Amino acid sequence: MNAPASFGKSQVRVEDQRFLKGQGRYIDDVNLPGQGYGAFVRSPHAHARVLSIDTSAAATMPGVLLIVTGAEWATQKFGPLPCRSPSKVNRDGTPFKDPARQCLVHDVARYVGEPVALVVAATAAAARSAADAVLVDYETLASVTDRGRAMAAGSAQLWPEAPQNLCLDFEQGKRADVESAMASAKHVIRLDLENNRLTAVPMEPRGAIADFDRATGQYTLWNSSQNIHANRDLMAAMLRIPKDKLHHLAPDIGGGFGGKNSVYAEPIVLLYAAGKLAHPVKWVADRTEAFLTDTHGRDQHSNVALALDDTGKFLALHVHSIGNVGAACGTMGPFTPTGGSARTQGGPYAIPAILYSAQAVFTNTVQTDPYRGAGRPEAVFHIERVIEFAARKLGIDPVELRRRNLIQPEQMPYTSGIGLAIDCGNFPAVMDRVIAMSDRPGYAARVTASAAKGLRRGFAVTPYLECSGGAPQEEAQLKFTSDGIVLLAVGTHSTGMGHETALAQIVGDRLGIDLHRIHFRQGDTAATKIGGGHGGSRGIELGGCAALKAADMVIDKARTIAAHALNSRADDIAFGKGKLTDSKTGQSMTIDGVIAAAGDQSRLPAGMSVGALDSTAVFDREMFTVPNGAHACEVEVDPETGVIRVVDFWAVDDFGSVINPMLADGQVMGGIVQGLGQALLEEVVYDSDSGQALTTSLLEYALPRADHVPRMKIEFYEGAPTKRNPLGAKGAGEAGCCGASPVIVNAVLDALNDYGVTHIDMPLTSEKVWRAISAGGKA
Amino acid sequence: MAELTLTVNGNPVRSDCAPGTLLSGFLRETLHLTGTHVGCDTSQCGACTVIVDGRSIKSCTMLAHEADGASVTTIEGIANADGTLHPVQQAFRTHHALQCGFCTPGMVMASVALLARQPEPTDADVRHGLEGNMCRCTGYQNIVDAVLASAKSMKGVQA
Ligand code: FES
Ligand code: FES
Repeated sequence: MNAPASFGKSQVRVEDQRFLKGQGRYIDDVNLPGQGYGAFVRSPHAHARVLSIDTSAAATMPGVLLIVTGAEWATQKFGPLPCRSPSKVNRDGTPFKDPARQCLVHDVARYVGEPVALVVAATAAAARSAADAVLVDYETLASVTDRGRAMAAGSAQLWPEAPQNLCLDFEQGKRADVESAMASAKHVIRLDLENNRLTAVPMEPRGAIADFDRATGQYTLWNSSQNIHANRDLMAAMLRIPKDKLHHLAPDIGGGFGGKNSVYAEPIVLLYAAGKLAHPVKWVADRTEAFLTDTHGRDQHSNVALALDDTGKFLALHVHSIGNVGAACGTMGPFTPTGGSARTQGGPYAIPAILYSAQAVFTNTVQTDPYRGAGRPEAVFHIERVIEFAARKLGIDPVELRRRNLIQPEQMPYTSGIGLAIDCGNFPAVMDRVIAMSDRPGYAARVTASAAKGLRRGFAVTPYLECSGGAPQEEAQLKFTSDGIVLLAVGTHSTGMGHETALAQIVGDRLGIDLHRIHFRQGDTAATKIGGGHGGSRGIELGGCAALKAADMVIDKARTIAAHALNSRADDIAFGKGKLTDSKTGQSMTIDGVIAAAGDQSRLPAGMSVGALDSTAVFDREMFTVPNGAHACEVEVDPETGVIRVVDFWAVDDFGSVINPMLADGQVMGGIVQGLGQALLEEVVYDSDSGQALTTSLLEYALPRADHVPRMKIEFYEGAPTKRNPLGAKGAGEAGCCGASPVIVNAVLDALNDYGVTHIDMPLTSEKVWRAISAGGKA
Repeated sequence: MAELTLTVNGNPVRSDCAPGTLLSGFLRETLHLTGTHVGCDTSQCGACTVIVDGRSIKSCTMLAHEADGASVTTIEGIANADGTLHPVQQAFRTHHALQCGFCTPGMVMASVALLARQPEPTDADVRHGLEGNMCRCTGYQNIVDAVLASAKSMKGVQA
């Protein structure tokens, strides 16, 4: 029987069955026989020289199996933690600074939480107690955690090779054009913006189990990582072991959002410990460790300047940012505040000249690395905040000002002022649609109703544009078993996005096979040769296209097998709806018939052998896609207390062709709420004097909860599928957080317009709002 | 070590357990019921929520010995005997109320307890009732919808 076409339809998820029954298998659920437990000794200081480590008391404590210190690590001369930043050249042509960061500190600790030693013991509790008994003598040094002070004279210096703590001095765009446009423009509107430091906070903390087989020299690493293949290569190189001697695999992952992409020190030290002990070693972070040592995101300060003519047309945009890299380069190093933030500057607007410059600086904080959006939300925030600010300054309706400047559909394809090649999209239609959804005619009555409760109501609409990213190549394999199961293995990585369903939908739809017969495997270096993992909303765009390509290879071979069975020619066999039909005779065969034949040598044509249908495809992305959309929201602000409530939220998103609308909806909603968190609640804070981390638990770092969140209404604009890939899909994972932060901030400032408040930095906590209202003067 | 007797998912359990063991650890490590997740160390996230004598409890805030003599239900214990999903589990699936699934066992257990207390909750009741359970993936809306839908379907069954 043919499966109904599921492509483009909401389809409940295959993986839910096990997750809902408590049968998911996350890293803390993986246990290996005879495992020991690791606990890390971490620096309590932001900046300190390690004078000595005394492990003698710890070593004699019950159950202790092994202690590895930074000093021992140094004797091994392993490679430093790698930096793979695509942006690595200063504006003067010299290379960026990438100081060597070791997995365990030997000489100087540069942030609170940096690992100094590992203790392995028979139980987790014994390991923790022994780790607490390791005595480290530190000489504390002056520290700097604030990016604004990092380059100042007299500030603490982290690395001798990086004067002024400067990692990368970056520039992209048309400096001369921008400067001349700014000099002659009727208006130049300037705004300084903070992009608050965040952390991804997947609900599952990171963890890993390493094992080593002395007989074969084989290492195995179970790791809560979204980047299994690339990180295997990097870790193997650091430890000087051949790639094929490190089997890297991930169990179910409890959320990632970028926070599980990087190469982290802990799994590498666990591999070393497992190698020494020749038995497994497990470590799972507690939440405090997660706050201290998971990579952080955003953390930029930007000066934005927008030049306009007397009709409100945008002429030029210059954004200069200072971005906080942390204590040394993370896996993507200075990329996010530099090249990552440059690529979509100017958003969906026709701005002839754009310049983005940035300085990425080292501070005594944990590394920053991509967090959901990695520079694109920052870029949306720059342009959408300055437009709103300009509209109020110039007395133009903010929607009208945007409308005058949006790139028009007839201008497509369009190369933006920063050089982004936009292939398709209808930005005015998308903005109009979200405005239509948001019931403008009823707004005045809602303002009055809010006022009757003593509340100020505000509205904003902000278009956004981003681009997908991540590794440009992907592999998918299809294998057919004798019991009718199709094994689909991919190198992309779902950490909750539902690829087990969506990719099976793509394959099932193409082959005419029920998706429940398709069994999914990901995140395993033994399953696929290539794997780009997760990042840049690449899952469907790359994994989906590779899976589609593999399915097409299967169909090609199926036509040959059918031709053999039907005594016909492959060229005459047409495939559709799970059936292979000889267009001359009308005779046909089902795909299941072909699958059965492929398992029987006597039914195969010459040159084919059993298993002939099994196919491996590699898909190469030629160009990024450009997802876009427009978000709108209404907020209520209590001027007495500064408390903000987001009361309504509308989104129209253009992701090209949508494979499974229910999953795409979920991606948008999750992203919007992370954007809401950035706008209103979340901020990682370090004490600027002591360098101490102040947000080390869910008590201090405010995540959105169910009652912070409005009902979101989401639609998709499917009028502009991309031709850059065969699915017509544009990445969907990061859009939500691009649109949500600026639209919420803009709506709050709309509500506060009468108070003369024109800007507040995120997060818009009630205290900040209340202070701004008080200082605004007009009440 | 001290002996502990309780009922877990309808089965009598008798076990030795160190005095300081948290209920979450006992369930996960001694009984291998790994559906109960641990997402924090400050009783904030709710991933560890189970039902003890009819009340939802964050199992990381309770010692295993405090559950001596009690009846504990975990995510593994709410599906029907034939393996079909409990109405709340089913509604989570239909409404796409989970992504990574890590918060899900706690969310489902908190929702089951909420509906037992409040069989006909409003949207706001659900949001308020689930305040102690964090989800970083879904944005909560589909969770709220799932709970509201299961309230309806369970009412149908009980009537
Ligand atoms: S584990 Fe977070 S509340 Fe229990
Ligand atoms: S589904 Fe991932 S935390 Fe809720």
